[in-house]
Amino acid sequence: MTAKPETAPYRAAFTAHPADALADQRKSAFARFETLGFPTRREEAWRFTNLRPLQQAYLPGTATASKPDIAAYAFDGESYRLVFVNGRFAPDLSHTGALPKGVRLDNTAKLLPGHQDLAQSLLDDTDTAGGQGFAALNAALFADGYVLVLEDGVTLDHPVEIVHWGDAPDQSFHLRNLIKLGTGSRATILETYIGEGRYWTNAVTLVDVAAAASLRHVKLQDEATTAIHFGQVRGTLDRAARYDGFVLTLGSELSRHDSFIRYAGENAECGLFGAYLLRGAQEATNMTVVDHATPHCTTHEVFKGVVDERAHGVFLGKITVREDAQKTNANQLNKNLLLSARATVDTKPELEIFADDVKCSHGATVGDLDEDAMFYLEARGISPDEARRMLIEAFAADAIDRLEGEPALRAHLAAHVQRWLNVARVPS
Amino acid sequence: MTSPDDSLDTIHALTGEGYKYGFVTDIESDSLPPGLDESTVRFISAKKQEPEWLLEWRLQAFRHWLTMENPDWAKLKVAPIDYQASSYYSAPKEGPKSLDEVDPELLKTYEKLGIPLGERAALAGIAVDAVFDSVSVATTFKSKLNEMGIIFCSFGEAVREHPELVRKYLGSVVPQGDNFFSALNSAVFSDGSFAYIPPGIRCPMELSTYFRINAAKSGQFERTLLICDKGSYVSYLEGCTAPMRDENQLHAAVVELIALEDAEIKYSTVQNWYPGDAQGKGGIYNFVTKRGACRGDRAKISWTQVETGSAITWKYPSCLLEGDGSVGAFYSVAITNNMQQADTGTKMIHLGKNTTSTIISKGISAGRGQNTYRGLVRMQPKAQNARNFTQCDSLLIGDRCGAHTVPYIEVRNPSARCEHEATTSKISDDQMFYCQQRGLSKEDALSLIVNGFCKEVLKELPMEFAVEAQKLLAVSLEGSVG
Repeated sequence: MTAKPETAPYRAAFTAHPADALADQRKSAFARFETLGFPTRREEAWRFTNLRPLQQAYLPGTATASKPDIAAYAFDGESYRLVFVNGRFAPDLSHTGALPKGVRLDNTAKLLPGHQDLAQSLLDDTDTAGGQGFAALNAALFADGYVLVLEDGVTLDHPVEIVHWGDAPDQSFHLRNLIKLGTGSRATILETYIGEGRYWTNAVTLVDVAAAASLRHVKLQDEATTAIHFGQVRGTLDRAARYDGFVLTLGSELSRHDSFIRYAGENAECGLFGAYLLRGAQEATNMTVVDHATPHCTTHEVFKGVVDERAHGVFLGKITVREDAQKTNANQLNKNLLLSARATVDTKPELEIFADDVKCSHGATVGDLDEDAMFYLEARGISPDEARRMLIEAFAADAIDRLEGEPALRAHLAAHVQRWLNVARVPS
Repeated sequence: MTSPDDSLDTIHALTGEGYKYGFVTDIESDSLPPGLDESTVRFISAKKQEPEWLLEWRLQAFRHWLTMENPDWAKLKVAPIDYQASSYYSAPKEGPKSLDEVDPELLKTYEKLGIPLGERAALAGIAVDAVFDSVSVATTFKSKLNEMGIIFCSFGEAVREHPELVRKYLGSVVPQGDNFFSALNSAVFSDGSFAYIPPGIRCPMELSTYFRINAAKSGQFERTLLICDKGSYVSYLEGCTAPMRDENQLHAAVVELIALEDAEIKYSTVQNWYPGDAQGKGGIYNFVTKRGACRGDRAKISWTQVETGSAITWKYPSCLLEGDGSVGAFYSVAITNNMQQADTGTKMIHLGKNTTSTIISKGISAGRGQNTYRGLVRMQPKAQNARNFTQCDSLLIGDRCGAHTVPYIEVRNPSARCEHEATTSKISDDQMFYCQQRGLSKEDALSLIVNGFCKEVLKELPMEFAVEAQKLLAVSLEGSVG
């Protein structure tokens, strides 16, 4: 198979990559990337994505001088914090303190040399033989990331806070993360992606939630508006496990967050929520692919989009219910506010159902702010700008409020929504 | 209390019922040998004594078709089609000139189908342009319609009598190269129906055609062109049944609707082609391109379809809402049973201001049927205040069938408003219990629930058709419908 031309610049970067415990898998992953190349609009999952910003090659580089400015994004409460700068772990900015017993929290690079078993679970067949070029490239080139492993029955008392800062011009950062929750364990993770200038963040997170374990996985993506951000989560949920994913998308010129969730046991539950607030020429895609392979599982999805100026918001949802997955309960909701004449929204909530005893529904709406609601507020002496603001805030809050039992995190996210709203609007 | 197995047994028993309309009429056909190349296209065109421009048009389509590939994006498993293996022209040998001259065999066929022809047509108030295989054999009510200036004839006749209209509108909604099957149809279409309603005229009766596929190995390539001039109205019915046959037969029709200012077209279809046997052997491939253009302001086009037949259905009746304030509607019931597959839906393209569209789709899957709704709603930048409402519900009967929903919503205008909702469920044990507890038999209960599920669509059908549609639901799913 010949290599696609757009992959050529990455070949040298791969050759220069130091050999490690995963050298063989990385080799096949890179071969896979060369075969697949970049996705095109002919591929269903990418038909709404404009990859023009990636025409320029973003290569992984060596560490460059950096001045991370993460104070504004630090989580208020207590946390175990790992900070990454330009794709590499920055120990002096991190503080994990004393971790409870049965918890391992490390950066991937540190783990790779000594722990063969864990290292092997950083990659799977999707990377070496799957259909996703960027995941394969990540597998071939990743230098760092984080690993969180909880032993059975352990409850993590504070959230794990992962902050990634990028500012190395024209570089790409490939991060590979692993979250492994033992039976009955519980954890909350807050990932924050921020930076300055032009760069490409390409993160892949593998999630394994064992029986009756519960994971809250929150991501705040406020990368520089000239940056590219691809994030992928591939999760497996065992019996009675619970996964709640939330993504707040504010930054990047071009961004995607793709969640692939597979049920491997009965009675598991998954919530995929998100809000995206876009302006300028931003384009953001949220894709969810949920595979109901086992009976008695429940999926909730709520994504709310606010799209202004010339921005482009995309939601691609797919829920598959396999033949034997009876008593599945799944719903999918995507609502969008289209605020400007040049803004666009594409949404595709898809259901694929092969079992009969299921309850599945999906809904999607696109429209402007409700005129009646605006009138109601204005009639009470609230200025149009303030009324608008209130309505947008409430609209986004509908998704944020789905994060049950995490008031501090909800407040943290809501504050960033407010910060987004404080930026003066360019009249269209 | 009914256990799920019991109701399944009932369904199997009911659906095991053979295909009612499976019989073959014995008429000698003047067929072309199997094969497809430029000479086939020339033969068809010559046989139909077509003008030069139409031949050129066909050839252009054919050459374009050669460069195209069979589409594979639908959720369908289609056995490869050998386009060289089928015959592209077959016509009853003698061209009859009036109803009396029509082959009695043929009339008997229609009789079996219950098509009101001649006297019965008059009673039913329907003008039937009955198409048997590829050539129109009987057209009734022509004079009555003529008086009002309404043209309703076979496509071939329209080409001869009204070339200016045909030339102006043919391919203006579905261009030759629009998709693989429309290109094929444009190259080799045999005949079809043509209707033109002059300005301000309200067509006094439901125009109706029945398509039949009869001669073995002859794919049928119908071409329908329907033009509603300013302020006119027409309701058009199309219904199909086909005889039992073991070989897959391809049907690739193209329907083009044009509604000018203030005109309204109501297009209703009941499709009941042979779906193949319970093992999925045989059955019709129904790959149809249907599209209507609301060219003028306040024009209105509505598609209503009841799809119960065919082994594979690939069909997306669409509306181009070009005029300001134009209205598009799509009402659909699609049933897949045994090994049937359906990938159907609509496209609503909002171009003009204040355009509105409604989509109501009801999918019913039973046996091992696979039923997909695939729809697109696109609001273009100039579609100020456009509105869309979409509802697609799926009903699953049995645990080996599938129901899928693939809606695309693309909005380029902030004042436009789109709503989409969909549900998937099965007939609950509670519903069955409730009905049976009140003395209804299992099959009556099932038919009651299914009919209720489809009601929103069935009520859109003209009365004469609604009766037949319910009959078809009965054949497809139930023993008897009350």
